[in-house]
Amino acid sequence: MTAPTRKETAARPVRRGPADPVRALMHRHQELCAHAVDPLEIAAGLEAHGVTDRTAARFRHRDVFSLAEELYARVPRAEPEPGAAPAPESVPRSRGVRAALQLLPGAVCAAAVAALAAVEPVPPGASAVLPIALPASLVRPAVGIAGVVLVALALRLAVRTGPLRARTGGLPVPWVCWIVGHAVYGDWLLAELLSGGPDLPPHPRAAAATAVGLALAVAPAAWCARWFAVRGRRGLAASRGLAELAARVRPLLLAATALFLAALVAVLIGAGAMLGGMGEVDLTAAAVLGVLLFLARLLAVHGFPGAAAAGLATAAALEALAPALVLIARLPGLAPAGAPVELLIRHAGAAAVPALACAAPALGLLAYGLRALTGARAHSPALSAEPEADQP
Amino acid sequence: MRIALLTEGGYPYATGESHAWCDRLVRGLTGHEFAVHALTTHPRQEAGQPPELPAHVRLAHTAPLWGALSGAHLRPAGERRTRTAARRERRRFAEHFADLATALTADRTAGPDGFMIDKADRFAAGLYGLADLARTHGGLPALLCSEDAVRILEAACRGPRALPAVHGAQVRDLLTVTEQLERALRPLSLDWYGETPDGLGGADLCHATSGGAAALPGLLAKRFFGTPLLVTEYGVRLREHYLAHAAAPLTAPVRALLAAFHGALAAETYARAALITPGNIHARRWQQRCGADPGRLRTVYEGMDAAPFAAVADAAADDPKTLVWVGAIEPDKDLIGLLHAFAEIRRAEPAATLRIIGGDGHDPRAPGYRAHCRALAAQLFPDEAADDHTVGENPVSFEEIGGPEVPTLEDAYASAAVLVLSSVVEGFPRSLVEAMFCGRATVSTDAGAVCEVIGGTGLVVPPRNPHALAEACRALLGDPGRRVRLGAAARARALELFTVEQNIAAFRGIYLELISHAPGRPAASGAAYADGVPRPFDSPAESQVPGHWAAAPAGHTPSWAAGDGPDDAGVPAGAAAGAPCTGRGEGS
Repeated sequence: MTAPTRKETAARPVRRGPADPVRALMHRHQELCAHAVDPLEIAAGLEAHGVTDRTAARFRHRDVFSLAEELYARVPRAEPEPGAAPAPESVPRSRGVRAALQLLPGAVCAAAVAALAAVEPVPPGASAVLPIALPASLVRPAVGIAGVVLVALALRLAVRTGPLRARTGGLPVPWVCWIVGHAVYGDWLLAELLSGGPDLPPHPRAAAATAVGLALAVAPAAWCARWFAVRGRRGLAASRGLAELAARVRPLLLAATALFLAALVAVLIGAGAMLGGMGEVDLTAAAVLGVLLFLARLLAVHGFPGAAAAGLATAAALEALAPALVLIARLPGLAPAGAPVELLIRHAGAAAVPALACAAPALGLLAYGLRALTGARAHSPALSAEPEADQP
Repeated sequence: MRIALLTEGGYPYATGESHAWCDRLVRGLTGHEFAVHALTTHPRQEAGQPPELPAHVRLAHTAPLWGALSGAHLRPAGERRTRTAARRERRRFAEHFADLATALTADRTAGPDGFMIDKADRFAAGLYGLADLARTHGGLPALLCSEDAVRILEAACRGPRALPAVHGAQVRDLLTVTEQLERALRPLSLDWYGETPDGLGGADLCHATSGGAAALPGLLAKRFFGTPLLVTEYGVRLREHYLAHAAAPLTAPVRALLAAFHGALAAETYARAALITPGNIHARRWQQRCGADPGRLRTVYEGMDAAPFAAVADAAADDPKTLVWVGAIEPDKDLIGLLHAFAEIRRAEPAATLRIIGGDGHDPRAPGYRAHCRALAAQLFPDEAADDHTVGENPVSFEEIGGPEVPTLEDAYASAAVLVLSSVVEGFPRSLVEAMFCGRATVSTDAGAVCEVIGGTGLVVPPRNPHALAEACRALLGDPGRRVRLGAAARARALELFTVEQNIAAFRGIYLELISHAPGRPAASGAAYADGVPRPFDSPAESQVPGHWAAAPAGHTPSWAAGDGPDDAGVPAGAAAGAPCTGRGEGS
């Protein structure tokens, strides 16, 4: 079993070590021992380095476990590095292209409105200009529908690629369509209903400035969402406790909302100046709607699509209530039902209805966001890890 | 018997050698029905076709421990819950998760022994509380991912008796831990716990093929239905977790919390298991360390197929002094030490040659290491030729199985006079067992389970000692008689301990033993409880088997049993027997 000792073994210079043999082992496995959280972790690491119970016997220990316990007790624990390197930010490959995509809805919407304006006068020979000879009365609806479809596509593209992409679930499309549609055509609809209409065939009058303003606001919304997400992740990496994280994120959310509101108002004023037809109430209504959509999307992006959908559904229901009340008032004996809406519209204009209908859910979402978006779960790195298909 | 085989990350999807024992086990025990409940740990495992299984084995369930859990694996949720019910559920979750979190963060050294028991109790209370919650309401994964879970964990980490390592846990660490816990506790939410034939409620015995996540369904089956649990570990799961966590880029608090979880889970598994079968003494030592009762530990060696090696002839007496090394080439195998030892052997035995047979190991450094060894061999040993007119050859050759020189593994062993093993780090040395099957003398280093495997049938030297290795090899090369004796002893030992047959026989006995100890289970037979007392042997194992278990060959009935029918067994036989007796009594 054992090899016979040779003569030269005695002559070989004996390596002088310290009297404490474990010290050399401590030095050799310094990192393993200092980072271990448990004696068993050291035992597992030692065994992976070939230390067996026979080796442990050389250190006067019964087995590897008791040797590991001595090492765990003797080696001071490593101080946790104060600011562990934050996870590298996933920088999108083509930021320029993505930024351009965020501008696309605004550009397409402006183009659509311009196209509509170009066909507006309907001169007698206008149809001859078009490649297909459409009846003059159908040109405007055709251009309008094409514009709506293109804007919807551009919006979908913008929302699915940028910082507004939601991983867990998007916003319910019907509610978004209804709310935005109400913002664009709601004034006309209410006015028609109040004046005893609607007339057939309908000639809808769109609030072009609102539509263009909202479409242009996609870009600042994306920027604000990205700012919030990046700063939120940074806050998560830096905070020691949940309370600290909440204290860090709460002003961030308010600042992001305020920034977006400022940008939105600026864009809306610009659109109003270009296209005209935007009163103060219209501006307020559009701004409140924009903030509602922004907050809902932010909640969906950070993993709370349920709350976002509830907020939008509330707004849609409130908006639907106004025309419904007007129609109910036409029934015999129910005339008082329409009185509040008429009063509101007479005093503040038709846009006051969506302004009020969106303001309440927007405030609700903001309050919910101040609780939900300040938690750790909203900024979990896992949330931004796996891309999935979603809805706009 | 119906056996539920619980696997994680391996059988039946993976086909590696380490999971082959499951396959051999189910193929060997044809008398039992096996239902495989598999947890996969990687998308790759589920990607392929479901593997072909024998007729008495079926794949009952598969669930992933990675990615997002789809609804298909979950227990179907009951009726739509009201808001109050959801709130009550959240309150229950908070209570149980707080128990679990306290058990994980509590400092082991903070109190007397009573506190340790308290810690294990709280872990068990939290774990089974969560299991009950998931069983009655479902929705546990969402709750584990909620903000509440993070908040509870934070409170536990900041508690007065928390481990020093977790005091500094940051929000990011808490998030990571809750995500990992969600994955680790996924078996609680699965739809496996039914009374259907596919469910664990219908099984007579749960056999977990490893500790950790695979044993978790077994623990729940034990709790819900009283099914006995058998745990087999060839590599200790807890130790693998420690090594994996050390290699992963995790912060100290995360590692501390996860280590506490896996340690507590292992302790709970060992405490509840009816029997634990470690694969070698190393695993057994770890299990004892984690609190397993030595009385319920029974070492069952992993069986290896001896049939291919039976045909290998005994070593020829005029052997050309060939040393053979077989294995995957890795730095842990210390081939450099072997080459230095061989240089020393050559000084005494100039005719000796060394064949290094094997491909690259899994270690990323393996290809570089192989090249390094080749270069060293070329430096140490110049090519040699028999005379001036032949082409020379290096006495050290590097070959792979399947090459022209060694078409099969058996050929590799057949060419050996002595098998050498020079590992510094070793688990269960397969090549050593194979050489023992072939009746070859061996020289190996004392690493891993080598001493346990070889017993006294080979030479063992300390690792990293080329001189001792060379001396031992030289002693064997110079003494053919000793080689033969050692080889014969080694073959006898290997055939006794390490064959597939002994493995299967051991498990067959263990299955029957466990089921005979299990009292009449309420799930299987409600009538077993006469007056609240369970009746042992009330439902024997055979009653669960459909048909073919112990069925007598048709058409042959022993003569003494032929007349024992219900019609003629009663009065006539008694009268016939009684008449002569009385007659004789009268006569005496």
